[in-house]
Amino acid sequence: MTLFPVIVSSLIFAGCLALIFSEKVNRSIVAIAGSVLMIGAGKIFGFYSEEAAVSAIDFNTLGLLMGMMILVAMLEPTGFFEYLAVLAARASKGKPIRLFILLGVITTVLSMFLDNVTTVVLIAPVTILISEILGVSALPYLVAEALLSNTGGVATLVGDPPNVLIGSAAGLSFNDFLVYSLPIVLVSWAGALLLLQYLFKKELSKRPRRSKAVMKLNPAETFNQPETARKVLIVLGGAVLFFFVHHLLHIQPSFVALSAAAVALIWVQPDIHEVLKKVEWSVLLFFGALFIMVGGLEHSGALEMVVGVFESMSAIPPVLFGVIIIWVVAILSAIVDNVPITIALIPVIKGLGEAGMDVTPLWWALAFGAGFGGNGTIIGSTANIIVATLSEKTRTPITAALWMKRGLPVMLTTCAIASILYAIIYRWL
Amino acid sequence: MNVKSCMKQHVVSIPASTPIRDAAAIIVKKHIGLLPVVDKNDLPVGIIGLRDLLKLEMPDFINFVADVDFVHDFGAVEDTRPPARTLDRSVKSIMQPIITVEEDCGLLRAYALMLQQNLHDMPVVSKEGKLIGIASRVDIGSAILSTWAKVE
Repeated sequence: MTLFPVIVSSLIFAGCLALIFSEKVNRSIVAIAGSVLMIGAGKIFGFYSEEAAVSAIDFNTLGLLMGMMILVAMLEPTGFFEYLAVLAARASKGKPIRLFILLGVITTVLSMFLDNVTTVVLIAPVTILISEILGVSALPYLVAEALLSNTGGVATLVGDPPNVLIGSAAGLSFNDFLVYSLPIVLVSWAGALLLLQYLFKKELSKRPRRSKAVMKLNPAETFNQPETARKVLIVLGGAVLFFFVHHLLHIQPSFVALSAAAVALIWVQPDIHEVLKKVEWSVLLFFGALFIMVGGLEHSGALEMVVGVFESMSAIPPVLFGVIIIWVVAILSAIVDNVPITIALIPVIKGLGEAGMDVTPLWWALAFGAGFGGNGTIIGSTANIIVATLSEKTRTPITAALWMKRGLPVMLTTCAIASILYAIIYRWL
Repeated sequence: MNVKSCMKQHVVSIPASTPIRDAAAIIVKKHIGLLPVVDKNDLPVGIIGLRDLLKLEMPDFINFVADVDFVHDFGAVEDTRPPARTLDRSVKSIMQPIITVEEDCGLLRAYALMLQQNLHDMPVVSKEGKLIGIASRVDIGSAILSTWAKVE
């Protein structure tokens, strides 16, 4: 094996990561161009081919994401999300702390099963509305929604894209996530919520000027299509039941999600063009192109070298090694998108497994790092970017500096809690 | 017929340095919906309407929530006033680009422009570009309709 393919493929991948990080070019465009470049280089230097590129794509991940996206696209226009937010507002009776916890819980639970971005996109506008009629600042609620949805998403196989990737690569089932990830996430989540309450205590202790106004919000009027929502929710519930047993039935989670999407489409028969417009094709393309790029890295032997470097660190105790992974991945994910980081590290961890290391705990370390790391900066996760962009159109925009004061402590706290719990339960992982 | 024949010749206009607070007071006193902003030579430089002023008081959520039917009480929004520092700013910060027609512009052209630009009043300028009048949709529309009487 010559070193040349390693250098070429690494340069292509590093160049693409740098471009994504610079935000000068859209990440999907970078990924498509990069994957084509990788195949071209691979054919010229003989380390990669079209066939190898196609087989590098993890269709389980793409299928699971697409199935869930179709279900969410059907649920979105029904008004269900707004309905929940309005119910929370009424239940809070206009008390800020209570509203803060209720909106946080709703966002978290939704983002454990649905896409974080969709959840935040639909809950944030109603949050701004509720804060304005109460006469309080929307900032604590918006920041908390993004942070708690990122945090909650780590709990389940379908909660956020890195988990989908890790679950598929490591063969971890939906239940594995409930057993190993959910408890750690619950403690970290509670820590994040308490910390946020403390960080926003000034804003949350201010009494709303018109707390009674929320009682005049009519939840029924936000619910445009209750019948469609009922059908989609029943299908979604059925899908979750099948997620519990997918490994016993020997079916992939992607098959469950796509079947659920098919059942919901047949049952509701929506305008398919409208539904497909809401599916985030750019995200799916981004994933597909990244798989091809990382496949090139793998075939060129570059990842093998990384595995070698990691192996030489075998003197480090495995627990500490896992904790290091949590923090390194978290810091990387706060700076760049966590998806390319995860996709690139998956073959490395697989390689370590083939070399004889017990890698099961490392998969969890990767999931916690990628999931909690996104909280650290305003660009760390798409949910953060969404609430920041929405708030820019209001009188009180969320700034990068504010995020450093509120989001970064949450990232540090959740990573610290996860590290401690990881070390404690390491031997059962 | 052109727009000059039906426009109102008395136009209330303000300089760009006028505080927002004073512009609002003029609109209230004259009961008008629109204030052209002119420089010292009477050349129009912008326009300020009721809509631009009320935007300062409108809640942020109306930009995000398509249908506000379910909000039966706007609560704190109802008694939120723009802060004094906003009202003391000059109208220059919120004025919009002005669309005008020249005095010899045909009535149908003037009306079509208003429809397309969603304007209720059309400022009229002289050949030299000076603001000399203003015509409402009713002024222009009824001037057009008045020609129908001559149809045989």
